[in-house]
Amino acid sequence: MSSYKLITKIINLGPLLLLYYLSISEIDTHFENFFEILSFNIQLIIIYFWVLKRPEALGSGHIFFAGLINDVVMGFPLGLSSLSYLIISLVATYVKNMTVNTRITTDWFTFFIAIFFSNVTFFILLSNFSDIRVSLTEVSYNTFFTLIFFPFFWFLFTYYNSIITPDKNA
Amino acid sequence: MSSSRDDFGIAFRSALLQRGAAQKFSLVSLIFIAIIVFILDVYGFAFMKPIRSIINDGIYRVSLVASSPSRILPKATASVSNLFNLKNENENLKKALEVYKQKELSVEYLTNQNKNLRKILESEESFLKKENMILSKVLIDKSSPYLKSIIINRGSKSGILKGMPVMDKDYLIGRVVEINYLSSRVLLLNDLNSRIPVTFGEEGVQGILKGNGGSKPVLEYLPEGYTVEEGIDVFTSGKDGIFMPGSPIGVTTSEGDVKLFSESSQLSFVKVDLTQQNEEAF
Repeated sequence: MSSYKLITKIINLGPLLLLYYLSISEIDTHFENFFEILSFNIQLIIIYFWVLKRPEALGSGHIFFAGLINDVVMGFPLGLSSLSYLIISLVATYVKNMTVNTRITTDWFTFFIAIFFSNVTFFILLSNFSDIRVSLTEVSYNTFFTLIFFPFFWFLFTYYNSIITPDKNA
Repeated sequence: MSSSRDDFGIAFRSALLQRGAAQKFSLVSLIFIAIIVFILDVYGFAFMKPIRSIINDGIYRVSLVASSPSRILPKATASVSNLFNLKNENENLKKALEVYKQKELSVEYLTNQNKNLRKILESEESFLKKENMILSKVLIDKSSPYLKSIIINRGSKSGILKGMPVMDKDYLIGRVVEINYLSSRVLLLNDLNSRIPVTFGEEGVQGILKGNGGSKPVLEYLPEGYTVEEGIDVFTSGKDGIFMPGSPIGVTTSEGDVKLFSESSQLSFVKVDLTQQNEEAF
């Protein structure tokens, strides 16, 4: 019985563990060998989806720390990814407060707003306050492909959410 | 209209300040902390350097452990290849090819030395003579869409300084840009922030190899009207006083960019050149 509870707990922690793992591991979503401009940011999709659908799965503190870890691994100034992630979280929380029932199309559109503000902040801060130069084109491609891949992950996470959400009729 | 503005205000304030059941911090406080951390790190306050160094070393080690599953898979694939005796054959062929390539490069390099690069010839320090190398393991080579860099397991403890050249076999792959006590970050040649003075061709043309974020860096600041021909080997010129003159980098392509000899995504062990050419340059 206790092992069942442990497994349930781990499954419930899935999004959080995935966020931390993607931030700290070598696994990346830059497929330059297949298509040079193809790169997307799964972390942003994870944060947006889970803050919108199940905020208790991702605490803001965890989002902040995942951002710090990502900055260290990627070599960005500390706090930059945290800020970018928290902006995504802010928009998701706002949308959650303002809407009652959402569909994939509304989530997709609001995700565009979130990722736009997040990546604009990321680019402006990195370009103006650090010695690191990034290409606006690369950031734009990344934003574009993250947006394109959003529906795929939306269905995947929605299915996962249905597994970890207890059946109210049961 | 006024009601809609009120709704926006209420929802926005709520999003910023509200703390749910599982939230220990409000978003506004975390955003504020993130901004402070960013400012402290960017403006390089003295007390942040050791803190950042400790955090880097710690997280790089954890990252290495966390990434081990993703490293096991390629190794398992290689083991399967062993079963079919393909690996030995492949390695023998690679070695033969490497020897051939090295000979070809040496001949070309020496020819260019004699003909055009008299300064390099006269120099007592040559790429072929240097032995002060330190072998390092690549800890993390996470491919970022924006930055092309790797983390190696040598830091200030091993005598590494900022700016030191890093080689894969005998090919230049980048330079050290960040040093911690036990690890360092190497900026690869194809990163957008990379600029290396190079020389190539029988005429000893001088130029700057500029990373463009893609797989092939481009040549800039070439003589006016100069057209880059395909298949010319590119070497470091050593004009910056950091890199040894004559280190092979890559070969020119028909598009005018440079195909690097070393594949940056396939790095396992690299060598850091500890020879200090010009200490001021670091």
